[in-house]
Amino acid sequence: MRAWAFALRSLLRQPARSGLGILGVTAVGTLLFDMLLLSRGLEVSFRHLLDATGFDVRVMAAELPFAGPRLTRATATAAAIARLPEVAAAVPIAVQRATARTGAGASTPLFLLGAGIGAPRPWVVAEGGDLPAEAGNPPAVMVNRRLAGSLHVRPGDVLMLSGPCGAEPSALPAVPFRIAGVAEFPFEEASQANAGMRLADLRRVCGKDADEADLLLVQSRDGVAASQTVQAIHAAQPELYAFSNAELVAQFEQAGFSYFRQISVVLATVTLFFGFLLITALLTVSVNQRFGEIAAVRALGFSRRRVVADVFCQSAVLVGTGGLLALPAGFALARWLDAILRSLPEIPARLHFFVFQPRALVLHLALMVVTAVLAALYPMRLVARLPIAATLREEVVS
Amino acid sequence: MGILAAVLAAPIPPAEDLPELLISRQLAAAEGLRVGEVVTLTARAPGARSARERRTDGGGRAAGADVAERRFRIAGIYEPAPDPSRLGAARLEARLHLPELLALTADPGDPLGAESVTLVNVALADATAAPAFGRAVAARMPGLLAHATAGPREGVDSFVVLERFHLAIAIVTLVGSTIFLLALMVMLVDERRDTVAILRLIGLRRRRILLQVLFEGLLIAAAGAAFGVLLSIATQGAFNRFFQWRYDTTLVFVRITPRIVQRTVLLAVPFGLGASLLSSWSLVRREILALARR
Repeated sequence: MRAWAFALRSLLRQPARSGLGILGVTAVGTLLFDMLLLSRGLEVSFRHLLDATGFDVRVMAAELPFAGPRLTRATATAAAIARLPEVAAAVPIAVQRATARTGAGASTPLFLLGAGIGAPRPWVVAEGGDLPAEAGNPPAVMVNRRLAGSLHVRPGDVLMLSGPCGAEPSALPAVPFRIAGVAEFPFEEASQANAGMRLADLRRVCGKDADEADLLLVQSRDGVAASQTVQAIHAAQPELYAFSNAELVAQFEQAGFSYFRQISVVLATVTLFFGFLLITALLTVSVNQRFGEIAAVRALGFSRRRVVADVFCQSAVLVGTGGLLALPAGFALARWLDAILRSLPEIPARLHFFVFQPRALVLHLALMVVTAVLAALYPMRLVARLPIAATLREEVVS
Repeated sequence: MGILAAVLAAPIPPAEDLPELLISRQLAAAEGLRVGEVVTLTARAPGARSARERRTDGGGRAAGADVAERRFRIAGIYEPAPDPSRLGAARLEARLHLPELLALTADPGDPLGAESVTLVNVALADATAAPAFGRAVAARMPGLLAHATAGPREGVDSFVVLERFHLAIAIVTLVGSTIFLLALMVMLVDERRDTVAILRLIGLRRRRILLQVLFEGLLIAAAGAAFGVLLSIATQGAFNRFFQWRYDTTLVFVRITPRIVQRTVLLAVPFGLGASLLSSWSLVRREILALARR
């Protein structure tokens, strides 16, 4: 306890130097904390998005959705998968581009998401109601906030939707829909207008009869692991590709996320080294300037262990204070950096690059402790080996 | 233009006249393929039943009525052009003549299947005429879009965003470095308190001492910036080799250009000078007696 108080007094004697040291550690700690948030942020956020609507397995006709062939006989396939004992629900999903118009003449391009209607739904209701269980006339549609805002429409309003859903121009008439509610779609982009509807209604808008879908969303029964469901689907439908959410995260991590993990590792390493250098330099110069004082207190009866503990406590106070201040600063910086990266094109609005996890906090504290210890080693060695008599004599002579 | 989902090994017929293709280095390594070997390409996914099997039971999942298979002889192995947008993706690719690709992937039920391509690359005699060319194509062939491959892109560019992110990181690093330098300079100046007191006592003016400290700061900042640049140049190869190994690509990740060196020096030296000035000013402005007192 005395060592801590003594270290604190030593630091307070030189407030400018100590303040700059703490600020330096804060800057280093801030960057380190942010890199720890970044290292697994995308992975955690992506997993959260995949889990958001309650489906834990995706089934496709190729290894990636929307990049390969589409699933044919989608309704029958979904029904066959839904009959598996491991499966609670299987929902076919198709996505098409279209145009939305209001009675007032306003229009906007949008993405239509057609889904087999069951529970759970591939969206989260934010306002109004959900699509009714039975088909209606006019059919119901869910719109996202972006679409509702850009066309100034609300639940209960009528929206005219029309193709072309493919590359070729379409002469199909617009289909009227009644807006049932406003929904959030897990993977929607911030600037993207979306609407969700029954798969059959999507085909009507696009003028397509083929029973095709881009993917199937599958929910496992309670107590059944997603990996078991994937195995069951592989066995029942060997030509389809089924992935659990964990497998999809691992796949995307290989393809797109690893860059941010690599850069976070490199920057965290450089940052830690930088912090180590800063604290070592501060403590070493401080100890060098206090050789006379340290020799004097040793001569007065302070043990070697006691003065070494003083140096260690100074390092701990500097790094501890800076490390703690780094947490709010890190959160603030993370918000700024996250906003920059989220402006990347085709990034879902709810995907984040910097995500807090308790693991990051624990790792941050552990790394700061290691830095404090390592940075104190050299000045502690200087103090431990200080010759008392020679130092005092030199001090008097100089 | 379609995805070739399977590469199937096949015995080599000795004198058969097969069409040739090129395969990427990554595909050759992944499948253990060599020049001269024969491979079978199909648009059918691995594990999928054949077209005949699907017709028999009425099943079938992947769209497309029939799926062709064709054998090719490997004429060579090529290194794919580095593509930052495909970073991390395994470049398992093959290049073959367009008619042969269309024969493999075209939908027999689509009369235009053998005539459809994804895009047409055009080399203009005058590259600056790209916008005019785009307008002319749109006017003469409605539905077609012509985009210049060079110049600013439409919408938000991923690399511009990444550059902004790297710049933000650089700013934070610069702030941290400046605090570090300021702390060092405070200690340096504090250590020389007695020297400054003596210099003042023998008649040197504040301005003269400040100039000396500034010059020292300039030297330290310039030396630090030069060391930083040299260290970056020395380590850029290691960074590139690591990331090229990690992503199996020939992309260059770090390149120290004269512009970057210039920007680094222009930022580091003034910040270094500022740190020197700030740290020394508090000492130099004190009265001589206050400086001399221990």
